Amino acid sequence: MALTLTCPVCGKRNGYEFRYGGEEKGPRPDEAGITPRSWCEYVHMNQCVAGIQKEWWCHKDGCGVWFTTHRDTTCNLEVDKPEAQS
Amino acid sequence: MAVEIKRQSPISFPGNPLKTELRGHWTVMQEYEAKGDAPRVIDLSHRIRWDLQDSDIARHRPGGVSIPDTPGRCVFENGVLINRMNRTQASIWHLSGEDLSIPDDPAFTDVTDATVFLALLGKEIFSITEKLTTLDFFDPLKEAPFLLQGPFSHVPCQMVILGNTPEKSAILFTCSRGYAQDMIAAVLEAGAEFELHPAGENAFSDWVNK
Amino acid sequence: MKRLEKLSTLRINPAKTLHFKYKNKNLKGLSGDTVATALYASGIRIFGRSLKYHRPRGLYSLDGESSNTCMQVNGIPNVCAETTLLADGMEVKAQNVAGSPETDLKGFMDKLDWAMPAGFYYRTLHKPARIWPIALKQVRKAAGLGKISAEFQMPGKYDEIYPKADVCVIGGGPAGMSAALAAAENGLRVILLETRPWLGGFFDYRTAQNGAGLSLSQSVRQAAEQLEQNSNVRIFTQTPVVGVYNNNLVTAFQKGCETDYFDERYLEIRATSVVVATGCSERPLLFENNERPGVMQIGCAHRLAQTYGLLPGKQAVFSIGHDLGLEAALDLFDLGLEVLCVADIREDGQDPALIEGLQQRNIPFLRGWVATRAHGNKTLHKVTLATIPGTLRKDFSCDLLVASAGMTPLTGPLSLAQAKLAFEPYTGFFIPRQLPAKIQVAGRLLGLNHPATIEASGRLAGTLAAGDCGVSVESRLKEAREKLNQLPGPDQGSKLVTAPVQGRKTFICFDEDTTVKNVKQALAKGFDATELIKRFTAAGTGPGQGGIPGHNLPLFVAQYHGDIKATAMPTTVRAPLVPTYIATYAGSNHDMCKRTPVHDSQKAAGGVIRRIGVWKRARYFSKDFSCRAEIENVRKNVGLLDASTLGKFRLWGPDALNALQRVYASDMSRITNGKVKYSAMCNDDACIIDDGVVVKRAENDYYFTTSTARAGATVEWIRYHTRYDGWNFHMVNLTDAFGVINMAGPNARKVLAKVTDADVSDDAFPYAAYREFMIKDTIPVRSMRLGFVGELSFELHVPSSYMQALWDLLTEAGKEFGIRHFGLEAQNVLRMEKAHLIIGSESEQRTTLHDVGLGFLWSRDKSEEKTVGAVALRQTENQEARLKLVGFKMEDPSRVPKDGSIIVDNRIRGYVCIARHSFALQEPVGLALVDAPLAGEGTRLQIYEDECNGQHLYATVVPTPFYDPEGKRIRM
Repeated sequence: MALTLTCPVCGKRNGYEFRYGGEEKGPRPDEAGITPRSWCEYVHMNQCVAGIQKEWWCHKDGCGVWFTTHRDTTCNLEVDKPEAQS
Repeated sequence: MAVEIKRQSPISFPGNPLKTELRGHWTVMQEYEAKGDAPRVIDLSHRIRWDLQDSDIARHRPGGVSIPDTPGRCVFENGVLINRMNRTQASIWHLSGEDLSIPDDPAFTDVTDATVFLALLGKEIFSITEKLTTLDFFDPLKEAPFLLQGPFSHVPCQMVILGNTPEKSAILFTCSRGYAQDMIAAVLEAGAEFELHPAGENAFSDWVNK
Repeated sequence: MKRLEKLSTLRINPAKTLHFKYKNKNLKGLSGDTVATALYASGIRIFGRSLKYHRPRGLYSLDGESSNTCMQVNGIPNVCAETTLLADGMEVKAQNVAGSPETDLKGFMDKLDWAMPAGFYYRTLHKPARIWPIALKQVRKAAGLGKISAEFQMPGKYDEIYPKADVCVIGGGPAGMSAALAAAENGLRVILLETRPWLGGFFDYRTAQNGAGLSLSQSVRQAAEQLEQNSNVRIFTQTPVVGVYNNNLVTAFQKGCETDYFDERYLEIRATSVVVATGCSERPLLFENNERPGVMQIGCAHRLAQTYGLLPGKQAVFSIGHDLGLEAALDLFDLGLEVLCVADIREDGQDPALIEGLQQRNIPFLRGWVATRAHGNKTLHKVTLATIPGTLRKDFSCDLLVASAGMTPLTGPLSLAQAKLAFEPYTGFFIPRQLPAKIQVAGRLLGLNHPATIEASGRLAGTLAAGDCGVSVESRLKEAREKLNQLPGPDQGSKLVTAPVQGRKTFICFDEDTTVKNVKQALAKGFDATELIKRFTAAGTGPGQGGIPGHNLPLFVAQYHGDIKATAMPTTVRAPLVPTYIATYAGSNHDMCKRTPVHDSQKAAGGVIRRIGVWKRARYFSKDFSCRAEIENVRKNVGLLDASTLGKFRLWGPDALNALQRVYASDMSRITNGKVKYSAMCNDDACIIDDGVVVKRAENDYYFTTSTARAGATVEWIRYHTRYDGWNFHMVNLTDAFGVINMAGPNARKVLAKVTDADVSDDAFPYAAYREFMIKDTIPVRSMRLGFVGELSFELHVPSSYMQALWDLLTEAGKEFGIRHFGLEAQNVLRMEKAHLIIGSESEQRTTLHDVGLGFLWSRDKSEEKTVGAVALRQTENQEARLKLVGFKMEDPSRVPKDGSIIVDNRIRGYVCIARHSFALQEPVGLALVDAPLAGEGTRLQIYEDECNGQHLYATVVPTPFYDPEGKRIRM
């Protein structure tokens, strides 16, 4: 796979090693008073940025860490340094 | 008929070993026919492996050895190899000498049976590995021994490069035990052109002692 | 043909003869020959026939730019004879011929070109519709070049390799070699990829002097030796690049030579920096019959002589547009070729030394002249030359026409890497205007022509590439730039697109028999963009991957529009740049799957092994796929099932309970010591994704199981859904660490009691309890009383290395109680009788916990834990119009519907999840997901089965479980 991602633990690796975890949307919203629509918005609706977006990836074939990184969706290239989570 | 209780390695090599030893229910293959300088593959699945996870991992000193402070770094002391995997986790492999008993601490899990444990020795082993993985065993920023966690023959592995110079080439790796047969088949097939052949535990001990 | 054996540039070994077969004749070639040169040496001039018109085709270039010389070699069709080295014993056949290439019975097709205009199929064969099936058959017969039989097995050994590099240099000519050396001098790991079997590019065969007392050939071969000694450089020859992708991922394949372990191998290289130094090929000259055998390009004629020792003809005419053509004319003249005339498209700009050489040899030289027609039925015997406006004409009788309009840069790798190319009028090249990050360019493809300039540009590119890798190169860079600036820049390129001809048989694409006339037809139809014309005329879509029309087509179209500068746009290039065997891409093709610790013994015991997900598992233990004996034995005696594939995990730490609460639907705080808790995991849509059991082994220390299919994703799932919380807990995947034996049946306890001292009585170890004990004082087991198959059963989790031993112990101990194996299919029927579900069988992506009747697992009182799925569980709790899981019995007990059959009335109302004959109930029963209104007990279900010819099956919804509804047997 042409995509490479930079795992905060293992460094730059082939995109095959990772699982996509969606756009960064922040923690789960408070459940009180939530409507089916607003819940659906949180779970399924995405910004689908044509440009740089912050997103989650899991280094599933490596150290297993979930991390966020920035990727330019127009050229499928990672940009900037990811922020270590976990 | 009484059934003899034996522990089984997930792999059996083609051909018969010259020398075996019964050790704690394991039949350890100690020696196979020597074949010159050609690269060797060794089954070390009977060697004890622990998983260590703790948010304060530095407080542990398994076998009297400190945990390396950076993920990807390894230390090999007193026959114990410790591989730092990430912020909270390390793997501990008993490579030689008496097996230690697992510390009475929930941070440790015995994972000996979770994986197959193999060693590759010999100067052509990196010609074999480059047929099976995109991982870089010669990263100039890394000094042996170091740990790589990533796919080898498509299967997630922990690989420790003990040495990557022509005089001293050795890799240890583990992957899920279930993949053992296909993994060894893939390694032997990739190594056939270099005459990769099975060797016994003694070959590994000799390498370690050298 | 006699070879020129004394030349220092030869790449053949005259001492080593190779034998091969062609047209049932035994022919000879030399070691170093390609299939094409060996055939040429044996006097073969017609290699095959063209796709549409069955025109004779011969050697035109030597790098496989067209399908002219695609042949069947050792049974493999469409092998490029120009790039395949001859090997002893090869069997070579011509393609697309009825008869022989020389007398092809379909040669008359050439006269029917008027009937096949551009877009022929699109425009003609669809009206009236009924002719299409007839036309289809004829088109299928005519389509394609090589033939392949259904029984064909691809011969050879294929491999793959992922070598590491800091810098990957594409092209092993003078520029690429200099670049590789410059990068290697900076201590970097360099990979050099070269398509030909040796380095040197277009210097390798040239005797012209380099200015330092050596011929270009000598100098480049010295440099190659030097490079081969460099331990930082890894050279792959016979390795064409097929793809260049984001982040400098380069793919290529290497053809093996005799000493190699492989026939072909796939290469994938991730380089920090890539240097593209692919050089040029020749731009074909467009004139009437421009592909007639006997017409060839400069490099082809020149290399046939200098590299292979073959004088390409006896009497030759040259119609060229580049100094390399003049150099070749002089060289070949000196080697004994009679050169009747050299026509140069260019009025001026030639190297004066070359013109002087022509004069010295009394070779007539015409400026501003060009070949307009090749004559000869099958091979060339006459050439017409004309002035560019077409006013004056001259004929020459000859057997060789060296024809070339000029040079064209090989920009394939750059295009693939998304470099922006633009037409540059001085050179006439498509030149990269904007390069992607960390890609450098060097050499002839920039229009450079002088040997020293080419080398200097390589040096600069190699140094830039080193800079890309983080090496500090400022002073070296300055030095390299200065050196390059002092040297001559690019040469002016020739502008001519077509000779003054009408173009009825002037071929712009050889592979697809596309003529200039076809392109004009496309333009007349209104296709104005080159990309569209390419598709309408098929020009550039053949095996040559656009090698012949790649440059001429956009130039021709732009000229038609009257403005080359504004409109000349190259067509999009796609991988693979060179035709590649699928077998090569497949490589060594390791199929990695998992086996359980008792896999071999299961197989030995007659287990029929099936691949299920990542695992290989025993599905049946006899040829009776209804598994009657296995099933009845579990109900009557006791059976052993290998359930090792279950996901198994340890989860512990101060926040372990929080993590469990987050992902499980139930309230996990209610787990008590020594008890098994059954629960399920849902996704955010409340859909069930997993079920399993959880036990608490110590405070904050849990052991849980998942379904086989979920095992791989479980750790990831839990980490994902706790990623914002910063909780302190840990997980170990123990799936492979433990084997699992499910011992089930009324005799299970008796068997277990024989191998352990632990008290396994129902009082000490009741249903739904969890115990840890030793077997034979040696094997530690974790045991659960569960009832998946509906009988008294003990699930034994045992360290994998002990699994076989325990299996054997139980088998031995169980002999007197009728113990035997059972497989997955038997388990499937047994659990169906109990209406115990399997996620993925009785559920699909839309199925919620409520739908399968497991809503009771959900604890609504722990909302503060933000359980995954809880919001949607609440929202869907009373939702109507959902598919609900029901049990059914058949009205006609002789028929069992197939799994997956749909339930219908006047529309689809659900589907059968599973249906089997139940031996316990002596009738077929099943489970189905049906629309809620049909879920009521007693509802009649209409089942539509594949190929039922309108005969529906009928079933009635009944309560579940079918077997032992009170659950007495699991509590025995």
